[in-house]
Amino acid sequence: MKDFIGFTRRNMLIYFKDFLAVLFSLLTSIIFFLLYILFLKGTFVDALTGSMKGLENIVSANDIDMFANGILLSGILGSAIITVPYTCLQTIVKDKEAGVDSDICATPMKRWKIVLSYFTASSICAFIMTSLILTAGLAVLSFMGDPHISAGSVFAAYGTVLLGCVSSTALFMVLMLMFKSSSTSTAFFGILSAAAGFIIGAYIPLSQFSDGVQSFCNLFPACHITSMFRNVLLSGLAEKIDSTIGGLDNGAFISAMKETFSFNAKSFGYSFGNSASVVYICIIALICVAAMTVVYNKTYKRR
Amino acid sequence: MKIIEVKELTKKYKEHTAVDGISFEVEEGEMFAFLGENGAGKSTTINMLTTILQKTAGTAFICGHELGREDDEIRKANGIVFQNSVLDKKLTVKENLLTRGSYYGLSRKEVMKRLEPFSESFEMKDIWDRKYEKLSGGQRRRVDIMRALINNPKILFLDEPTTGLDPKSRKLVWDYINYLRREYGMTIFLTTHYMEETRDADHVVILDKGRIVTNGTPAELKTRYAHSRLVWYTAKSENAEALITRISRNFVYDADHYSIETDDNLTEFIFENREEIRDYELIKGTMDDVFLNLTGKELA
Ligand SMILES: Nc1ncnc2c1ncn2[C@@H]1O[C@H](COP(=O)(O)OP(=O)(O)OP(=O)(O)O)[C@@H](O)[C@H]1O
Ligand SMILES: [Mg+2]
Repeated sequence: MKDFIGFTRRNMLIYFKDFLAVLFSLLTSIIFFLLYILFLKGTFVDALTGSMKGLENIVSANDIDMFANGILLSGILGSAIITVPYTCLQTIVKDKEAGVDSDICATPMKRWKIVLSYFTASSICAFIMTSLILTAGLAVLSFMGDPHISAGSVFAAYGTVLLGCVSSTALFMVLMLMFKSSSTSTAFFGILSAAAGFIIGAYIPLSQFSDGVQSFCNLFPACHITSMFRNVLLSGLAEKIDSTIGGLDNGAFISAMKETFSFNAKSFGYSFGNSASVVYICIIALICVAAMTVVYNKTYKRR
Repeated sequence: MKIIEVKELTKKYKEHTAVDGISFEVEEGEMFAFLGENGAGKSTTINMLTTILQKTAGTAFICGHELGREDDEIRKANGIVFQNSVLDKKLTVKENLLTRGSYYGLSRKEVMKRLEPFSESFEMKDIWDRKYEKLSGGQRRRVDIMRALINNPKILFLDEPTTGLDPKSRKLVWDYINYLRREYGMTIFLTTHYMEETRDADHVVILDKGRIVTNGTPAELKTRYAHSRLVWYTAKSENAEALITRISRNFVYDADHYSIETDDNLTEFIFENREEIRDYELIKGTMDDVFLNLTGKELA
């Protein structure tokens, strides 16, 4: 067990000691945040007020603001869940390139422990980073007004972070074990970090796209995770707004908002509830873990 | 006791045969040197013996454990200094060594206790908390050797431990290696392409294109493959050449001296002709000559 803990600790240190790696792993989140401040917030608020149809005087502008901010936080978390595990897992390829894996393979440590350790380290790193963002985000939100997030929802939010980090790490692990050089994995990261914001519907809500695009994006666990974040972080606020409206529109405004900002992942005409999303993510993660055991045998086969 | 026994060990990469059926034995406590040019197959051999690469054919026993069957036992007995550094650049020396210790199931305390006797002689105190990337080449090598010693190995494999170091650091590294031999009787398996480094070895194997060209003690190899040379400072003359041909036909005149190569006893020859041969130098064959004669190539 000491070997496993020691190696996991080492893999975590490698990520946290590399300031640039930490920064780059959050790049998509940072870009999203900047875009939000520059203009995305405006488009979100416009989309919200546009579907109000005469309720403008009832719903407070502050609530709408808070709603948009909540969408922002979900997007930041969603993209971090893609980019942080990936960056952390790049250690695998770098180790292969630098011959560090030879050093490990020359010790009595079992191969499956090596792979599991990379997996664990990157899940933990991602969990730490994303939790920090979540904590900071929640603090800022409550500073700005009442976000109407119950204690249970806060708990659920951290749970979602954990599920997201583990599933995302599992998915990228399969990929990373197949990469041979860090230039390949870095090139892929470029694509990934650019695409991440779109796939999870951070820049433009997924509902704006065709069913085909939506179905494709929702293949990714991170997309489901982002939808779950929206539910967890915004349901309380949505209920509050709904009760302010007091049934004048039979809840039409709130369901329109939930529809617009994809509170439920939609795939091939099926709308996932949160529990269905959890099941889906777990299945994907399990498939990846199974694939991983096949691929790692190849990777660490001594040619 | 034979600590390493290798028979017909072979490694094929697709078409290319990097190591081609080599056999040798290493005695416990001896210093065993593998000599060869770039691409001769030195690293490949070490990587097979340390279980990093799978052998294609042949057998090997290390500390009595069969390679390919009892790999974990072999791994516990081996310490390796890799040709290229494999420690983490962003971590400190201490962090590097502690994590490596944990791969062998050692706790922090055990690692510290294990390295204690060396940290003095290896001058580790100053660099203990420094990042590996901030160390000089010689200091890195020192830490690499410490890393290899962490599991109390019976055999220390060193893959070109001094390549790329300045003469002073090279000497330091050699001091450490000799210290380990002297104090701990450690078996040293070394590869190098510096001829003079094989001088103190108990056994030298010369490898060329994956095959062993020769195997013996440095003295044996020199007697077998290197000729002594007599440099005789004298004017060029027929008399002198007549004298020389009595012992060797292999000579040249160069500026102010004859250079004569022979296997025969030169000392006797000089003594017998002490009237004529007054100003001379007797040069013993070197390992460089051995290598040159065996492979037809000069080492860098
Ligand atoms: N992974 C590999 N795939 C194919 N060929 C390889 C591989 N590794 C090494 N070789 C080849 O095997 C031969 C022996 O390589 P090796 O690294 O053992 O040489 P070496 O004696 O250590 O040389 P050097 O002094 O340069 O370190 C070389 O011709 C090399 O090109
Ligand atoms: Mg080599």
